[in-house]
Amino acid sequence: MLDDKGYAIEVTDLVKSYDGVKNAVDGVSFHVKEGEIYGLLGKNGAGKSTLIKVLTTLIPATSGSARIKDLDIKKDAIRIRKRIGVVQQEESFDYASVEKNFDIYGMLWEVPKHLIEKRKEELIEFFNLGEARKKRAFELSGGQKKRLQVAREFIHDTDILFLDEPTVGMDPVMRRDVLNFIREKLKDGLSIIFTTQILEEADFVCDRIGIMDKGKMVAEGTSRELKEKFGTMRKLVIGIIDPPNDKLSESVFNSVREIAGISHVTVTGREISILGSNLGRNVKSIIEIISSMNLAIDHISLDVPSLDDVFLEVVNK
Amino acid sequence: MKLPAFVRLTIRNVHVNTDPGTLFFMFGIPVFYLFIVGIMYQGLISTVSQGSYSVSYTAFLAPGIVGMQAFTAGNIGGGMLWADRRWGMFEQLLVGPFRRTEYLFGIIFLSVIFAIGGSFIMIILASVIKSATFNLSILSYVYLVGALILGTIFFTSLFLILSIKARSMNAYSTITFLLFFLLDFASTAFYPITSSTPLALRIISAGNPLSYIVNIVRDAMVYGITYYTLEELGLIALLMTIVLSFSVWLYGNIKTGIQ
Repeated sequence: MLDDKGYAIEVTDLVKSYDGVKNAVDGVSFHVKEGEIYGLLGKNGAGKSTLIKVLTTLIPATSGSARIKDLDIKKDAIRIRKRIGVVQQEESFDYASVEKNFDIYGMLWEVPKHLIEKRKEELIEFFNLGEARKKRAFELSGGQKKRLQVAREFIHDTDILFLDEPTVGMDPVMRRDVLNFIREKLKDGLSIIFTTQILEEADFVCDRIGIMDKGKMVAEGTSRELKEKFGTMRKLVIGIIDPPNDKLSESVFNSVREIAGISHVTVTGREISILGSNLGRNVKSIIEIISSMNLAIDHISLDVPSLDDVFLEVVNK
Repeated sequence: MKLPAFVRLTIRNVHVNTDPGTLFFMFGIPVFYLFIVGIMYQGLISTVSQGSYSVSYTAFLAPGIVGMQAFTAGNIGGGMLWADRRWGMFEQLLVGPFRRTEYLFGIIFLSVIFAIGGSFIMIILASVIKSATFNLSILSYVYLVGALILGTIFFTSLFLILSIKARSMNAYSTITFLLFFLLDFASTAFYPITSSTPLALRIISAGNPLSYIVNIVRDAMVYGITYYTLEELGLIALLMTIVLSFSVWLYGNIKTGIQ
C-alpha cells in the first residue's frame, strides 16, 4: 500500500561535519513514504540526532541534499518548519504550567483558541497529565516532562513528525500507549521519523527501519526484511548452572572465536548468547568448548534472530 | 486574525515572564525604592539642588526609578535567551515556524513593553507622593520614551551577550547580580553626583550608561529638556548601536544542535 504513495522525505548523499574532519552524518541516502513510520536505529553517537537536526533545518548540511514534502532543506527552511513537528531528544518546555505550555505552543503555531482548548483537554487526559496540569513544567518528573514534550507536538497540525527518542523515561504502559497513539495518527496522513534505542519499539511501531553506524546508513528495510537479510544468522542460547565471573563473555568469546561465523557473545544472568551465521553446524564444537571450560550446561536453544540481534550484528561488523 | 511571528513570540515571552518572581523583580523592587527608600530619605534629605533647580528627594528619586526600568526590563528580556537555551526552548522554537531574527525581535519587544509599561506605572505611583511633582509635556514624553527605548535595547543587548557567553547558571547569576548593584547604585539614579562625590564614584557614574538614561528621564520629568539632554540621548543611541551590533553578531553565531 505504502508503495503507491509519494515520498514525504527524500535524502540523498547527505553529509554533516562539525569540524570538517569527521562526518557525523556520512553520505546518508534514504526516503520516507507518505503515511509511513520510519525508524532510525543506531548506537549513541551513530549520527541519528544530527541527521534529525539537519532534516529539521536546525543545522545546515555540509553537502548532499534533502527534500521534505518536496521542499529543499537549504532553500525552503521556514516553509518546511511550518509543516513539521519535532520532539527533540533534549528536554524543552516553557517556564510555565503544563496547561500554559499547551496554550503558548498552540498560540505560537496559530491554532485557533477553541481547538487549543479541545486538543489540550484530550492530550492532558491521554498523556495522563491531569494531576500535573497546574504544575510548572520544571517541577515535573522526567517521564512527565517527556510526555508533555510529546503531547505538545500534537496540539498543532503537522505533515511530518520527527520523534527523537520520544519514550525515554516513560513507564512501559505509557510507552505502549504512546506508540499506539502515534500509530493512530498515521490515519491522518502523518509521516514520522522515529529514533529509539529500544528495538522492540521500532519492531512494534515502524514500517521500515534504517540502521546507522558511524554516520552511515548500514542497513535498511522492514523489520522482517532485515531479519530475513540476516537469515543465516542464528542465536545460540546456552544456560549455565553456575556462571563463575563477570568476564565470562570475554573468555567464552576468546575460546569460540576461531569457529567461523561467530560475531557476538553476551552473558546475561545465567545465559550465554552467541550470535553468528551457520551456528547450527557448529553447536557441537561450541558445547565442547563450553564444557572444557568447566561450565555446567543447563539448557540450549537455537533461535532465529530478533531485531536486537540484527542490530548487534550490523553495528558490530 | 493572523499575527506576525515576532508578535506571537512577544506574546509568548510576556506569558512566560508574568510569573510572580519576575513581576516582583520588575515592579516590586522599584516600588520598594520609590516608597520605602524615597519616603525614608525624604526625612533626611529634604531637597536636592542641581544648578539653579532645587527639588524634593522623592521628585529626584522618581526619575531614577523610572530610568532603572530600562535596566530591569533589559535584564528580563536578555535573560530570556539564557532561559530558553537552558530549558531547550531556543532550539525548539528554531525548528518551529520562526526565523532567528523574529526570535530576537520577540525578546527586544518584550523588554521594551516591560520597560515602557513599568515606567508609566512608576510615574503614576510617584505622582501620588505629595512631595513629588513633575512637569511633563509632549516633548518631555518623546525624550522619556526615546531614552527608555534606547536604554532598554542597550541593556537587552548587554544581557544577550551575557546569555550567549556565560558558561554556567552560576556565572550568569553572579554577573547579573554584580551588574545590578554596580549599575544601579553607582549611577545618578539614587544620588546626585556633585563635586563632593568621591572621584572614583564620579568616574564610575560618568561611565555608567544608566546615569545618562536617568539624566534624560530626569530632565524630561523635572528639570526640563536642554541641549545636553539631546547630547545624552545621542550618546545612548551610539552606545546602543555598538552593543546591539555586537550582540546580534554573537547571536547570529550561536551554534545550535551541538551535543
